[in-house]
Amino acid sequence: MNRRQRVLEAQSRREFMKRLGIGAAAANLLWGLPSLARAAAAGRRKQRVVFVFSPNGVIPQHFWPDKTGTEFDLKRILQPLADLKSQVITLHGICNRIKGDGDGHMRGIGCLLTGIELFPGDIQGGSDTPAGWSMGISVDQHLKNQLQADPATRTRFGSLEFGVMVPDRADTWTRWSYAGPNQPVAPIDDPYKMFDKLYGQTKNREILASVLDDVTADFERVRDLLSQEDRQLLEHHVELVRGIEKELQSELEHKQRGEGQPAQSTESHLVPELPPNIEEENDNMPLLTRMQMDLLVNSFMADFARIATFQITNSVGQPRMRWLGIDEGHHTLSHEPDSNEDAYEKLIQINTWYCEQVAYLAKRLAETPEPGGEGSMLDNTTIIWTNELGKGNSHTRDNIPFVLVGGGLGFKTGVAHDFGKVPHNRLLMTICQAMGHPTESFGNPDYCTDGPLTGLA
Amino acid sequence: MWKLRMRKRVTNIRNAIGIWGLYAALAVPIVAQEPGTGTPEPTLPPAAPLSALQQRGAEIYRDQCADCHGAHGEGAEGAYEDPLIGDESIGQLAARIDKTMPEGSPEDCRGEDARAVAEYIYEAFYSEAAQIRNRPPRVMLTHLTTAQLRQSLADLYSLGATLPRETGNRGLSARYYNGDRRKEEELKLERVDPTIDFDWQRNSPVEGVDADSFSIEWNGGLMVPRSGRYEIIVRSTCSFLFYLGASDREFINNHVQSGNKTEFRRSIYLIDGRVYPLRIEFRQRKRKTEIPPARIQLAWVPPQGVEQTIPAEYLVPERPTDTLAIQTPLPPDDRSYGYERGIGVSREWEEATTAAAIEFAEVAIEELWPEYRRRHRGRDQPRAALRGFLQQLLEAAMRRPLTDELQERYIDKQLAAEPDDGEAIKRCLLAGLKSPYFLYPDVDLDQPKSARVANRLALILLDSLPADGRIRAAAQKNKLLTDDEVRQVASAYLDDHRLRSKTRGMLRGWLNLEHIADIRKDEELFPGFDQALVADLRMSLEQLLDEVVWQPESDYRQFFTLNQGITTRRIAEYYGEDWRPAGPWRRGYWTEPTVPSPKHLGLLTHPYLLSGLAYHDSTSPIHRGVFLIRYMLGRTIRPPADAFAPLSPDLHPDLTTRERVELQTSPEFCQSCHEKINALGFTLENYDAVGRFRELERGKPIDPRGRYVTRDGREIELQGAADVARFLAESDDAVYAFVKRAFQHFVKQPPAAFGADTMDRLVQHFRDSGYNIQELIVEIAVEATRPIRTAAEQIAFQGDPG
Repeated sequence: MNRRQRVLEAQSRREFMKRLGIGAAAANLLWGLPSLARAAAAGRRKQRVVFVFSPNGVIPQHFWPDKTGTEFDLKRILQPLADLKSQVITLHGICNRIKGDGDGHMRGIGCLLTGIELFPGDIQGGSDTPAGWSMGISVDQHLKNQLQADPATRTRFGSLEFGVMVPDRADTWTRWSYAGPNQPVAPIDDPYKMFDKLYGQTKNREILASVLDDVTADFERVRDLLSQEDRQLLEHHVELVRGIEKELQSELEHKQRGEGQPAQSTESHLVPELPPNIEEENDNMPLLTRMQMDLLVNSFMADFARIATFQITNSVGQPRMRWLGIDEGHHTLSHEPDSNEDAYEKLIQINTWYCEQVAYLAKRLAETPEPGGEGSMLDNTTIIWTNELGKGNSHTRDNIPFVLVGGGLGFKTGVAHDFGKVPHNRLLMTICQAMGHPTESFGNPDYCTDGPLTGLA
Repeated sequence: MWKLRMRKRVTNIRNAIGIWGLYAALAVPIVAQEPGTGTPEPTLPPAAPLSALQQRGAEIYRDQCADCHGAHGEGAEGAYEDPLIGDESIGQLAARIDKTMPEGSPEDCRGEDARAVAEYIYEAFYSEAAQIRNRPPRVMLTHLTTAQLRQSLADLYSLGATLPRETGNRGLSARYYNGDRRKEEELKLERVDPTIDFDWQRNSPVEGVDADSFSIEWNGGLMVPRSGRYEIIVRSTCSFLFYLGASDREFINNHVQSGNKTEFRRSIYLIDGRVYPLRIEFRQRKRKTEIPPARIQLAWVPPQGVEQTIPAEYLVPERPTDTLAIQTPLPPDDRSYGYERGIGVSREWEEATTAAAIEFAEVAIEELWPEYRRRHRGRDQPRAALRGFLQQLLEAAMRRPLTDELQERYIDKQLAAEPDDGEAIKRCLLAGLKSPYFLYPDVDLDQPKSARVANRLALILLDSLPADGRIRAAAQKNKLLTDDEVRQVASAYLDDHRLRSKTRGMLRGWLNLEHIADIRKDEELFPGFDQALVADLRMSLEQLLDEVVWQPESDYRQFFTLNQGITTRRIAEYYGEDWRPAGPWRRGYWTEPTVPSPKHLGLLTHPYLLSGLAYHDSTSPIHRGVFLIRYMLGRTIRPPADAFAPLSPDLHPDLTTRERVELQTSPEFCQSCHEKINALGFTLENYDAVGRFRELERGKPIDPRGRYVTRDGREIELQGAADVARFLAESDDAVYAFVKRAFQHFVKQPPAAFGADTMDRLVQHFRDSGYNIQELIVEIAVEATRPIRTAAEQIAFQGDPG
């Protein structure tokens, strides 16, 4: 059975239950076999999605393929994906139609994954009315909730929110993931913080195991100074510490041998190493991106989460890509007219750099065998690279860049689509459906009446 | 009824004697005996030669008592196992023996014989003096209590900074700006706002400021009435940023005003004795659309409290030093001696100290290290700077300069193992904070005397490390050796928030307030007595205690004689006349002093205490009596042999509470304790179950007569609360109990461990100083550091070079 068939089968099973008018839990009760659904799920492959954000629009002429279908061409900006072309899907004609409060950038990022308007608020952009946070949940958090509600797809974190050089400022321009109305989710853009979230407990226990020995030596030294009666308390304490030390050692050895884990996943439970002392500075952006992507791959290997967002800078992001020889900030450049050849060229280079990052992530996933499954991790992961704007200097939210890489959603890959001009809500619905959780609408229902997009599977 | 019980129990001799034995009559403390006040060593003889009468008592004791009570009152297995120790006078002992002993045939030991036995056992092992003589208490090794651990880590966090002192100022500094950018040239008004609770609608908040575009910065410090988890609530229709604990430590971020999200809640564990920097930047932003009405309120739900706007009492306008309250939950301390002390280790405690160390390390990585690096920029190689940073933290935490060996083990070795600075900091701090040097302050025996005195002083006064300038400076100058030097340094801490917090803890323990946590009353009998009122009453009592201690006279007697209370709007409304404020209500303040009234007798007649020591529908002279005898007079009362439900008032509609209690406790075996308990408890019968004054109960006049037999056997007649108040203010027993409680709380060791006459000296000094509580605290520090100051020179670890 190939991947597509498996997805179809999974969908039809749900469809069957839906037609019966019962949810999965009720179905389990009905069949009296709680393990049945789980057993069925165990045979189901893992599906993962990563949403990657880069800011300020693209240069469409050097981004979108000229031809649609499988015989499409990769333009300059997408060239880094050449080796993975067979895994790539480009989606032209997807438009962020959300109106209401907020300027183009704010609605560009704030409505991108939520598909719904921003609340009225006091954040005044350059034009338009002021706005606050999104009125709804974003698709990543929605899917996380769906996956976490089902024991078969539940993971330690459900979702992980990565960032790279996101300004230390919570506002509409710096958030794209929402746990609900007025509930922005802050991305973690410090790799060491992300490391702590993922591996902190394990690392702390390693440190504890290694310092306890030094500490107990001192307990024994001071004990000799004390009266017989006072020694009892210290001895009792030392006994406790020694006990804990032993437990820690056996726990860590156990972990190193990878016991209790499926054979193939041993490696995935090892704590990765980060280069030490990397500051969050503009010039470290390439390294920070790499560190975060490595952590992302590691956390997927360990099945810590099946959903991730990866937000590089922010809406109106101003990284200065000095490593490319570009000293101006990205957002400033993006406002230049197309006639400014220097800016135009630099914007192509900047967007190519973003594409390189996506390609790096895709390659890492492609090179890694799926732990406990078939094929590579990329076969079971879809990277959705997107942007707040279609084009920087026009602030258009038509033809929002959507480039998909990988097989997580089960779509036919190696193809360029053009949908004409459809609301992006339909794409969000399509993603939910492909993840096994179809929905009647996503975000503002007015944009959902035509249902999920067709022709992708 | 009780005869039947006796017959049933006679088969079990231990139980039967347990009810009827001498011991039950004499009453022991419910807490464990301190070493030295516990079981006497059977071989120890009395110190002084016995008088003829005592000699005769010894012989009778040997013949008639020793089989059940042991040769030296230590108890006998299978018979009466508990030791014969207590605090009754010889007269009371003699009467008891005369009436009840030997068990089953009291006629064998009557009159002069009973007197002789009483004289003998009192001198040989029963009395407190005999207990101390037979087994001198010693200073026990203890680890940091949870309060000490929290305070120590907080001080470690603000190492080297000057901590805020009590200035008496209240409220928050406010700066009102025109425009939403807080530009200096647009600053229109600076003032102190007693509290944050404003509703400007769409109007300008102050003159010169546009209604549609303004900003306000509130700055200052937040204090808490007690350690615990606080829910902080901000209600704001506009954008705001809220920083708490440190200048840049964001607590609530509402940079974006969005939709109708106007309520923001977050919980945080805060420790008393700290002032937390608080800053709120509030903005009404100019926008193209209509501005919302501007409102902001800063409220909280304190532990065991109800929601209220944070009152001015807990806000200070001066900006304090950055600080840290560890959030890790810590298990409660051992209280088996009647006060918290670190004498037990458990897995739970061990793991909690690890978690606290890791939490501290993470904050150090996040906040302390970048700040240190910034201050030492360019001066050191990165790793040299890191070494310097860790060295100063560990020297403070471990209360000693780092020898080469310690430097190697706690720093260099850990740095070598870890290239990442953050992880290296975690290693070093985890090692240091798990080491015996941090957790067991008493293991500083190899340190110079003044350093050791500094360590003790910091613990006794502040529950903390000597991280503070003055203690450290005095130690470095070797100026902590004489009584006067200690007195001088200790006195300088009287306006320190940590010392004040520790004093509050002492008073709470003295009044046993933690056990009066849940006060509820019958809604039909006492309509309007709700949890908000209870929270106000608690605050009123706690402020009264603070007031007495920290006013200049600091006179202990005022606890019982002060004729003013502290009131709130709710209290005034419920309790009426005597609880009216003396002046007008001030905006933003929670409490005001009341008008003077003879009905106020300090804490004795405080409604929080009186309603806490009462049932939901009636008073409880027993609870009040036990409170007076055990806590105020420091006497030992044994818990009842069985649990009894109080007689219901409904079953005896004709009886007053006094009559009902007398009825229920009339059996002789109850009377052995209840004749003392009831006689004190009845004196407060003029105050009903919610502490309101009354003349009548069920149409009958209140009979508040009572009495008390002192430790030295004097019988005192008491005609109601005013008599009790006068008595408590000066009685030897009450003063002794207060001084002892204070010593135990501050030092966490038994006073006798510092010399048999420690208590006598402290009590004498206390009386001579006009019952000055502040001076008492200082003298306790003097007494408790004397053994170190006068001891032979320090000792060294074996094998230590030099």
